[in-house]
Amino acid sequence: MSDQEGKEGFDLSQVDRLINEHRFTRRNLLQGALAAGAFAALGPVLSACGSSSGGTSSSGSPTAAGAPKKGGAIKSAIGGGSAKDTLDGQIPTSETQIGTQWQVYDALMDWDQNHKLVMTLADSYEPNKDGSVWTVKLKPGLTFHNGKSVTADDVIFSYKRILNPKTAAPGASTLSMLKPSGMKKIDDLTVQFTLESPSVIFYEALAYYPNAIVPEGYNPQGMTGAIGTGPWIPTNFQPGQQVEFKANPNYWGTGPYADTLTMYEIADPSAKLNALLGGTVDHMTLLDSSQVSAVKAATGMNVLQAKTGGWWPFTMRMDQKPFTDARVRQAFRLIVDRNQMIEQALGSYGWVGNDMYAPYDPGYPTDLPQRAADIAQAKSLLKQAGYDNDLTVTLTTSTAVSAAAPNMAQVFAQQAKAAGVTVNVDKVDPSVFYGNNYLKWTFAQDFWATRNYLPQVQVGTAPNAPWNECHWKNAQWWSIVSQALKTVDDTARAALIKQASTIEYQQGAYIIPAFNVLLDAYSSKIAGLQPDTWGANSACRCRYNLMSLV
Amino acid sequence: MPLVKIIVRRVLLGLLTLLLVSVLVFAATQTLPGDTARAILGKSATPATLKAMRQELGLDRPAIVQYGSWLGGVVRGNLGESLAAKAPVTRVIGTRVRNSAVLVLVAALISIPLSILIGSLSGLFRDRPFDSTTSLGTLGLAALPEFVIGILLIGLLATQVFHWFPAVSVVQPNVPFTDQLNILILPAATLVLATSPYIVRILRASMIEVLESEYVQMARLKGMPEKTVLRRHALPNAIIPTIQVIALNLAWLAGGVVVVEYVFNYPGIGLGLIDAINNRDVPEIQAIVLLIAALYVGFNLLADILTILVSPRLRTGLQ
Amino acid sequence: MSPDELVPAGGPPLSDLDLGPDEDLAEPLEPQLGRGGDMAPASAKRRRREWVQLLFDALHYRRTQIGLALCLFIVVMAAFGPLFAPHSPYAFVTAPFAKPSATAPLGGDVIGRDVLSRVLYGGRSVLILAILATALGMAMGVSLGLAAGYARQTVDDVIMRLLDVLLAFPQIVFVLLLVSVLGPRLWLIVLTVGLSHAPRIARVARGATLEVKERDFVKAAESLGLSRVRIAFTEILPNITSPLLVEFGLRLTYSIGLIAALSFMGFGMQPPACDWGLMINENRIGILVQPYSIFVPVALIAILTIGVNLATDGLSHAMIGLERDTGVS
Repeated sequence: MSDQEGKEGFDLSQVDRLINEHRFTRRNLLQGALAAGAFAALGPVLSACGSSSGGTSSSGSPTAAGAPKKGGAIKSAIGGGSAKDTLDGQIPTSETQIGTQWQVYDALMDWDQNHKLVMTLADSYEPNKDGSVWTVKLKPGLTFHNGKSVTADDVIFSYKRILNPKTAAPGASTLSMLKPSGMKKIDDLTVQFTLESPSVIFYEALAYYPNAIVPEGYNPQGMTGAIGTGPWIPTNFQPGQQVEFKANPNYWGTGPYADTLTMYEIADPSAKLNALLGGTVDHMTLLDSSQVSAVKAATGMNVLQAKTGGWWPFTMRMDQKPFTDARVRQAFRLIVDRNQMIEQALGSYGWVGNDMYAPYDPGYPTDLPQRAADIAQAKSLLKQAGYDNDLTVTLTTSTAVSAAAPNMAQVFAQQAKAAGVTVNVDKVDPSVFYGNNYLKWTFAQDFWATRNYLPQVQVGTAPNAPWNECHWKNAQWWSIVSQALKTVDDTARAALIKQASTIEYQQGAYIIPAFNVLLDAYSSKIAGLQPDTWGANSACRCRYNLMSLV
Repeated sequence: MPLVKIIVRRVLLGLLTLLLVSVLVFAATQTLPGDTARAILGKSATPATLKAMRQELGLDRPAIVQYGSWLGGVVRGNLGESLAAKAPVTRVIGTRVRNSAVLVLVAALISIPLSILIGSLSGLFRDRPFDSTTSLGTLGLAALPEFVIGILLIGLLATQVFHWFPAVSVVQPNVPFTDQLNILILPAATLVLATSPYIVRILRASMIEVLESEYVQMARLKGMPEKTVLRRHALPNAIIPTIQVIALNLAWLAGGVVVVEYVFNYPGIGLGLIDAINNRDVPEIQAIVLLIAALYVGFNLLADILTILVSPRLRTGLQ
Repeated sequence: MSPDELVPAGGPPLSDLDLGPDEDLAEPLEPQLGRGGDMAPASAKRRRREWVQLLFDALHYRRTQIGLALCLFIVVMAAFGPLFAPHSPYAFVTAPFAKPSATAPLGGDVIGRDVLSRVLYGGRSVLILAILATALGMAMGVSLGLAAGYARQTVDDVIMRLLDVLLAFPQIVFVLLLVSVLGPRLWLIVLTVGLSHAPRIARVARGATLEVKERDFVKAAESLGLSRVRIAFTEILPNITSPLLVEFGLRLTYSIGLIAALSFMGFGMQPPACDWGLMINENRIGILVQPYSIFVPVALIAILTIGVNLATDGLSHAMIGLERDTGVS
């Protein structure tokens, strides 16, 4: 059969060879009737794509002189999302979902650019003497996107929904001391929260963005029913690709000044930058340090820099070998040359961390010695734990954590060699990292925004925390923390926090080499960006309502 | 008619090949160690979770049954559900197929006429400077891996020397595709540079031969003006063998898009395959690989058939 | 060879080239030891030097010389580069994407390692993997092609049909399919790339075998009752080396491209390994700031592939030359 065919099936390479060998003859390939060749001289299509034919200054001040101009479209590139993302305001997880959530929803309170508590939907809050009863008053005249008034019933509904285990809302862990029955409507604008056990920092839960206020009967399917109070109303929702919004004309807060907002989800950092430099977008979040000079060199482009308390830790699961042994965990912390980590992996955009989180908390132990690399001690600890230059671990990383995370992983791996530890860096795709195995990786990384100590505990290290990557468990520590949650006196509470933090300093499962300096890039067409201490997602916390076109 | 018989037979063979291909694809992704359940659950797979996942995916059924149901679905147009998107694969890759098709079409529309022009000129001016330069050029280009060509183009036209084009394709989904064609240019240029050398060379060889053929000599002796000779006799005859090569190029492009789309982040099926692999999205991997193989086999088949059609000897020369 | 026959994608019958111009006709006709005592020992000896002849002839061409020079340059750099590297390829010597300086003549890479050192270390993986994969593919392809060409028709059909299935995949898709399931292991890459070459090589080998198997000395050996396997390897194989040599060169070019592309896409060598393909991708983010970290490895891969292709081209021109000299059409 193959013989009959005569011609052996061709590969382009083999046709090529035939030509080379001059064994190609038209006779021996075919002989044909006259067939008109499609002869058309066609040059390559070259149409110059307009690159940003720059504005004026390269590093102008972010705020425009005079009142912000109204109108126009803001286009921003944020990180990669997933096709599984939703517009449910109470279940944001990925960086992208958080960014979109901020536009559509509000919690009762929020944090401003300087990590100060501000009132958003709430007008005031009042705890009783021991922090077991909290009375929250809503601002009058607030409406949802569908025109419905925001009332106490909506607040109670929202919190009940968060508390409902079926919702799987991350905010539930901040409300562990609240039962659905503990909420009472005092009047249309007043809600009373009665806590099972007093929590002096309950206001943190009220200000936690996933505890969004939604209308009664809220049950979003895609974009339908995704109704909130935020500055932007979604008009087109393509999960994993982009979200489009129009301005909320009845927004209770500042702005929005532009008419529309489009958030493009672009995972690849080069693509994100290209979107900005090419003019497809006017703002991008989380510029990588290596891209700064490119932005500065381009005309009409600027960098926004924000020092934050955000952190990208290495997470060690203390319930899995080898990290069950506290000596191994300490050894790993001693491996890190923090300054080198900041210089090589973060391009110097960071400030040194000491393996403890919540650097702005009054209780943060500033007097503990700053940990530095101590390879000798690390080796000795490892030896005590039974490892003699033969410890091998896999470090799971992803650009989903941050663009710098894989670089941090490589730097750590290199530094670990000196201590006789072999670290195999396993870089996985974002949807895998935050997929089914998230929170199960033995040794990995993660990203966290700025928080005070106790609220961070509630979401990251408490026994029922939604994102306890390290599976941290320590009875002594938890009893101190539980006590702190009830301590009304600020000074006393700070002292307890200091104690708890110190335990983590000594035995914890995080390696926190640095805190983040976040970078955004934007074109001079946009004004109104302000650096925010928020510490994740964006240097300006995606406050698009403050932005205007120049 | 014997001709029809040959063609039908080739097509059937092609289908048989595709069937075997589907078996291979299925076997590779479903039944090798590191099956779907484990791929999804990863390192933290426990016997219990694996069992549950396997049941959910229907992996506890015998392999033949799974294959049968998968194949049955494929034939009916149901390519399964994407694990990453939790949506039918057909919906997820629909736009990607369109994007790749446009890219390949643009590349083909540019490379074919361009290569024919260059190839025939090379043949016409054989061994002269134009020909020698083109020869060197095609030799060089044919050697370079596609991603090298792509990166070099980026350096030349987007980032280092000139800044005419975006280095990475950013598709705006709500803007009509026709308004953002500039993202096609560099990927298409890469594909053109990667495939043109073959057409140029074969056309050159073909042209040389035609120009030396008796037929053309005769036409010249008859006093026909050279231009007419070229246009009416030489070129059409020279082009015929390239038809096969063109079909082969299209076949190559089915696989070539994988690397090129990755270089430019162009949202086609090539990048879709890479994403699916990174997401460990088995149904999507299976669907895209099967699609690419089908295109590859299809275009190779087309090349075969075209060859037969234009070659009378082949048509009659069956044993 | 009848001019009307379609040319198989294989080589010309090189046994007819026994009487090349460089042949030493005064050589005594001795039985060759260790060749199983077959007849026509003189032609065996002359045949054995065919591919050597081919190499010599190829060297006359400028393109072969240039090609080999380019290859040599890269091979030497890959093999001995590490000896000249100023730093360890993993050490942090400068700021990320730093411009060239005295410490780092080609600047820093994405996390501040020395680009020059990494480039000097980075050629080995591409070269070694590519050569291994090609060799494996040749071994498999030639065996299968020989078998298909020389065995019974049914065996031929079965082999070619099975190979058609492999041929249904573009090479990169085939490799990616298997890598996606089993992960980026180096042995898997060598195996799959080799496997993807095998059917294409088999076709060439088969075509050449079909030519050669009709030759007298093969018939003679058959009449002696030697086993077909032995005949295949001792009589036929030496006579198809020329087209196979050309095929090897061609396949090597593709192997290099494939393997570099795999590392580029993240399916080959993994960080922090030094590999040109990998370097190109991990430094892409800094293309506007530190182009050396990307374009130096790009240039090196380009030089290597062009060199191999040029040399191969020279080889195939030489093959035609040999044919022409002996009047084979």
